[in-house]
Amino acid sequence: MIGEILVQLIRFILLIFIQVLVLNQIEISGELNGFINPYLYVLFLLMLPVNINKILLLFLCFLTGLTVDIFSGTAGMHASACLVLGFLRPGFLHLIAPREGYETTLKLNMAGMGVSTFLIYAATMILIHHLVLFLVEAFSFLNFFELLLRVITCSISTLLLTVLSQFLTQRNREVAK
Amino acid sequence: MRNFLLLIRRYNFFIVFLLLEVVSGILLVRNSTYQRAAIVGTSNDVIGQMYAAYSNVTDYLILGETNRILAAENARLRRADSASFYDPKFEIMKVNDSTGLQQYEYISARVINNSVTRVNNYITLDKGSMQGIRPEMAVMGSNGVVGIVKDVSEHFSTVISLLHSSTKISSKIKKNDYFGSTVWDGDSPQFARLLDIPSHAQVTVGDTIVTSSYSGIFPRDIFVGTVSELGTTGESFKEIKLRLSTDFQKLSYVYVVRNLMKSERDTLEAKSIVVQ
Repeated sequence: MIGEILVQLIRFILLIFIQVLVLNQIEISGELNGFINPYLYVLFLLMLPVNINKILLLFLCFLTGLTVDIFSGTAGMHASACLVLGFLRPGFLHLIAPREGYETTLKLNMAGMGVSTFLIYAATMILIHHLVLFLVEAFSFLNFFELLLRVITCSISTLLLTVLSQFLTQRNREVAK
Repeated sequence: MRNFLLLIRRYNFFIVFLLLEVVSGILLVRNSTYQRAAIVGTSNDVIGQMYAAYSNVTDYLILGETNRILAAENARLRRADSASFYDPKFEIMKVNDSTGLQQYEYISARVINNSVTRVNNYITLDKGSMQGIRPEMAVMGSNGVVGIVKDVSEHFSTVISLLHSSTKISSKIKKNDYFGSTVWDGDSPQFARLLDIPSHAQVTVGDTIVTSSYSGIFPRDIFVGTVSELGTTGESFKEIKLRLSTDFQKLSYVYVVRNLMKSERDTLEAKSIVVQ
């Protein structure tokens, strides 16, 4: 139990650091600016245990979002997006659950869920998070198609990084064995 | 009442979600300067230290480049040192000159914020009034003119970059001393325009443009740029395009110039105008 909490804590700190110090610094000059901004820190929320208390999940989402907000000077933006993710996560997991339900020891990663299920799960959650995030950021539907395009391109970049991180950590584990 | 409690128990997940969402909504809507200060203020130390550490790391990455610039500047300064010249006249002048008085002092500062893409660009420096920086002081890099100090706080100062629509720097053609002013047209951060050069002045591409000391802000003979293009000669003035000597896109260390005799000169000039 304590080991599990420690693992989650380390993952949280690591992802926040990567997000704030590396990914938030991405600035591409020209047309593409704003279209390739991955938000990898949602991976922490995706990988929380499957049987986690729902209320605790919400508070963790809020906390994670707020941490990123504080570092990027955007009070409430990431927090509200993460909350929506946390609110929809249990329902969606239930929706894509195998017939006999989840085992409590199941790890919500690519190795545990299988590639296709994990991809569906991650892509949906990331898309929802980014959609809410950019909607809140824009606060109006002024340029809806550009916004939608941004949601899609940013989601793709986040998903790519997510999958990459899965391969990296998986490989490490196999080597460790 | 009992039903109400039941309702809360039944939908506690949704209620907590709504509550937290409202909290973040409030944060979002009231995200004024005050709110941001209040939120960030509580963790300012941690975050400030983290960003400082980050900047230390990125500074380290450009160390090679910074070293190269400093070495080049050292070489240039050594070349300009009087010991490198054989000039007896200079020696004599030095002996007769009773005003061997320091007029300019240089305060080195680090650029901590900079932009080149806007029409009005500003630079932030990590030195302020505590180190003796005051508004309207000149700022130069090791390659030439950078801008003029606008506002000063205790530890920081903002500089109106040369890349600003209202910057006007009094400059002259080095070889024949015709003077005009350098302005930026908001286009490329590498080019500026030199105005008010009379049409009979001899200018060729490649000529050096330096500051004149007419404004009292910049010391004379600081590099501004070189003539890159001659436009059409108008009725009375020439149109000249400059390639700026300072590369604003990789500015990291600058000098703030303090004119120790500025107030003396200003009072004198003001007096003359009043008497007129």
